[in-house]
Amino acid sequence: MHGRRTLGDHLVLAAVVLLAAIWVAPIAWIVGLSFKPNDELMRSTGHLLSPPFTLKNYADILGASSVFAWMLNSAVVAVGQTVLTLAVASAAGYGFARTSFPGKPVLFALTLAAFAVPEQAIIVPLHTLFAEADLHNTYAALILPRLAFPFGVLLMTQYFKAIPAEIEEAALLDNASRFKVFWRIALPLSLPAQATLGIYTFLHAWNDYFWPLVSATKPEMYTLTVGLASMQTNFAQTEGIGFLMAQAVFAGLPVLVLYLFFQRHIVTAVAGGAAK
Amino acid sequence: MSGAADVLAPGAAARPVAAASAAGVGRPSLLNLLFVLPYVMLMLGLVAVPVGFGLWLSFQDYDMLGGWNGSVGLANYVNLLSDRIFQGAVRNTLLFVAMTVPAFVGLGLFLALALNDGLRRSAVLRSVFFGSSVLSVTVVTLIWRLVYMPERGLLGTVLGAFGLPEVNLVADERLALLSVVIVTLWWIIGLPMTLFLAALQQIPREIYEAAALDNAGRARTLWSITLPSLKRTILLVAVIEAILQFQIFGQVLLITGGGPNNASRPVVQFIYEAGFRDWQLGFAAAASQVLFLLMLLAALGQLWLGRRQDRG
Amino acid sequence: MGGLVLRNVSKRFGPVGVIDDLSLEVGEGEFAVFLGPSGCGKSTLLRMVAGLETLSAGEIHLGRRRIDALAPGERGVAMVFQHYALYPHMTVRQNMGFGLRNVGMPATEVEAKIAQAAALLEIGDLLDRRPAQLSGGQRQRVAIGRAIVKQPEAFLFDEPLSNLDAALRARTRVELARLHQQVPSTMVFVTHDQMEAMTLATRIVVMNAGRIEQVGTPIEVYRRPATRFVAGFIGTPAMNFLPVAAVEAEGARATAVLADGMRVPTAIPATRLPAGPLTLGVRAEHVVAGQGSPAVVEVVEHLGERTLIHARLQDGSALVYAEPGDSALRAGDAATLQADGSAVHLFDGAGRAYHAGLNP
Repeated sequence: MHGRRTLGDHLVLAAVVLLAAIWVAPIAWIVGLSFKPNDELMRSTGHLLSPPFTLKNYADILGASSVFAWMLNSAVVAVGQTVLTLAVASAAGYGFARTSFPGKPVLFALTLAAFAVPEQAIIVPLHTLFAEADLHNTYAALILPRLAFPFGVLLMTQYFKAIPAEIEEAALLDNASRFKVFWRIALPLSLPAQATLGIYTFLHAWNDYFWPLVSATKPEMYTLTVGLASMQTNFAQTEGIGFLMAQAVFAGLPVLVLYLFFQRHIVTAVAGGAAK
Repeated sequence: MSGAADVLAPGAAARPVAAASAAGVGRPSLLNLLFVLPYVMLMLGLVAVPVGFGLWLSFQDYDMLGGWNGSVGLANYVNLLSDRIFQGAVRNTLLFVAMTVPAFVGLGLFLALALNDGLRRSAVLRSVFFGSSVLSVTVVTLIWRLVYMPERGLLGTVLGAFGLPEVNLVADERLALLSVVIVTLWWIIGLPMTLFLAALQQIPREIYEAAALDNAGRARTLWSITLPSLKRTILLVAVIEAILQFQIFGQVLLITGGGPNNASRPVVQFIYEAGFRDWQLGFAAAASQVLFLLMLLAALGQLWLGRRQDRG
Repeated sequence: MGGLVLRNVSKRFGPVGVIDDLSLEVGEGEFAVFLGPSGCGKSTLLRMVAGLETLSAGEIHLGRRRIDALAPGERGVAMVFQHYALYPHMTVRQNMGFGLRNVGMPATEVEAKIAQAAALLEIGDLLDRRPAQLSGGQRQRVAIGRAIVKQPEAFLFDEPLSNLDAALRARTRVELARLHQQVPSTMVFVTHDQMEAMTLATRIVVMNAGRIEQVGTPIEVYRRPATRFVAGFIGTPAMNFLPVAAVEAEGARATAVLADGMRVPTAIPATRLPAGPLTLGVRAEHVVAGQGSPAVVEVVEHLGERTLIHARLQDGSALVYAEPGDSALRAGDAATLQADGSAVHLFDGAGRAYHAGLNP
């Protein structure tokens, strides 16, 4: 934009900075709490910037918290889900975008319809089905339902369609088999879409709440989100606010670090699909 | 984040992808079916079958503990509609949507307009506003329970510093829902902001140059050029947010628990409690169908309004 | 190596016919150019030869093999695509070697072939670059190189020059002609640009609406167009078409009387002409000024080596003619024009052409 700064500009800037402070303050606050002794916090939370400080809350995570086990569960679920989703969605997206086979229009229409079904509409029957199969409290139960991911398939379909068909035809003329064209040509060219879908799936899996809440009912199968939620139920009685906050910081840190490193990709991944 | 992400998955609102064209590369072959087979089996087994099973369940007397006691026709739906708590849950959900959607549109648009420049300062601020949406709902609620905590919470401390009396949002029947609205805004304002920013980038520079040559001032440019160009995006954000906020669940469960006195219980929490606490599967399935219908109606209604405005 | 034979080839997309019962032979080592407006089916035909489109009916033979049922890679053809279709994630070397490695050729042999083709095309120092680091002309060479290393029985070119700017296009055209001398394979080249067709082809196949209008050498197609379509499509400026009011026989020859009264004594035997309305076709260079019908000059185009003058006859029909060098004429000037009867063509209502001399 051009022109001189007006009073309006300054007011807008002031408002945005004030809002940003509101966005940062809660996080700064709990980070501060996590470095304070619990017995002091029982009495007052008003002296965050003055000693005493302590690392005991973080040290306690190593010994006395299930956070590590939950984090491991989350990692297994998130990584497994990401890898499998990429494989399933890429293959299907390529199939829909570039190959012809009997029944394709029907299956594609079904995918569009499945795209419109929200999780809450099927969570009760899905839970019952997994209960009948005696699969709850397993990694398989946590991962499987998320692999039927029409959005991922549609995203990959769109991306593969945007790759010039000529390039794949050249490969066919170069004696590449159908699968080789997919594996050696289309897949490498779809890396940006893989990154988008991968980051999106990972974050979604890592932060997933409703399904793990009803499927993983044994504490040793809790994911991080469910585990942290379980600690909040007896929040009022807690004597270790600092310890609780240290665990929150510890749980939030991996995604925040990921966010700092891959910010552009994450923003694209979260907003990209909807914006298209 | 899981909330922000949900937008993209069940978002009937996101523009439908053009139907796959019949022409591909190479010849038609049954073997090509192998590419989509894993996905198709997953989709049929884990989406199509549950949708059908859920519909069927909603007409059954099916209890996790008591087992299946046969079909009851519309009884689940009848009971649902006369259930005080369910009526309250529908009202709370609609109220929540009515409060959050305009706020997401308004605040998201404001932030996007204010931060749509090449300045480093704006980039940092954009990161701040988007950053909170990568956190999971449970981390967010841990943070905000500390903010709302009576006596020692951040909100009380700040109000006290200004000499104001403390407000206990969470414990107040009239304010509990508002407390969740604030948390939700804080959590995922990043998505609407980013959608608006992306749309602003799409407006061709030449239009602004033409407007400048036509002696349009800043306010006039905003009103006559920028906002009309964003009409589609405003509708898109409204529809996405409506669909998203109809599914409000985690924040409420963990911050207010639906209380006090059911004042903040949303439909999804009702489904959760009916299905997974009381194990009344048929009843819960019926509630799911009602929610699905409500979401569909809301999305279609907004699209219809948008289209009518387009014509008018 | 061998010639390419198409026999009764048809292509339908659903109910829409794109190629209709087409037969054609391209001799071994020929440079055949499929020429026609967009949508005439020429690219579809090429893609059918390559195996990228299926045939609805007919046969395709290359050399001694019937190839229409084979997979694209098994046909012994190589293709240069309109947008080059280089693999963006591979280096030039990998691009050229991909097809060879796919058939299990030993690495040393692959390297040797790449080196040989690179030397021929003068792209030796580009081998480790990726397509994004190349200019348009360089990409074009790599695409040709990728075809050459396979030593195919036939090269297929799908409008390969249309993405180059005018200067580069002219230069590449000459290089392609030179390439054909060095690599004497059968070549099939698709274009809508008559200049490319005239300069490259040993034979031009003029296509329109899924049919072959004419097959012939560039000069044949220019001098003796088989149909009104060919006559109008080839040559710049386009041939003038004037309605014939009456045909009179003077001796054995026909004299055409145009709508404005201009009499054009042709060398076309009168007995061969059908009944029904005829159209007279005459190229700009065969219109003589200074005699004949009065006309008004409307637009004058100075091209340097010649001048094109757009004039209008008294009956309202438009006529373009050429004068060598510069011309002093201006819009609004009067002129008198006469078609040179020895060089005109007559076309019947179905578009069929009648020429002087040996006519079919």
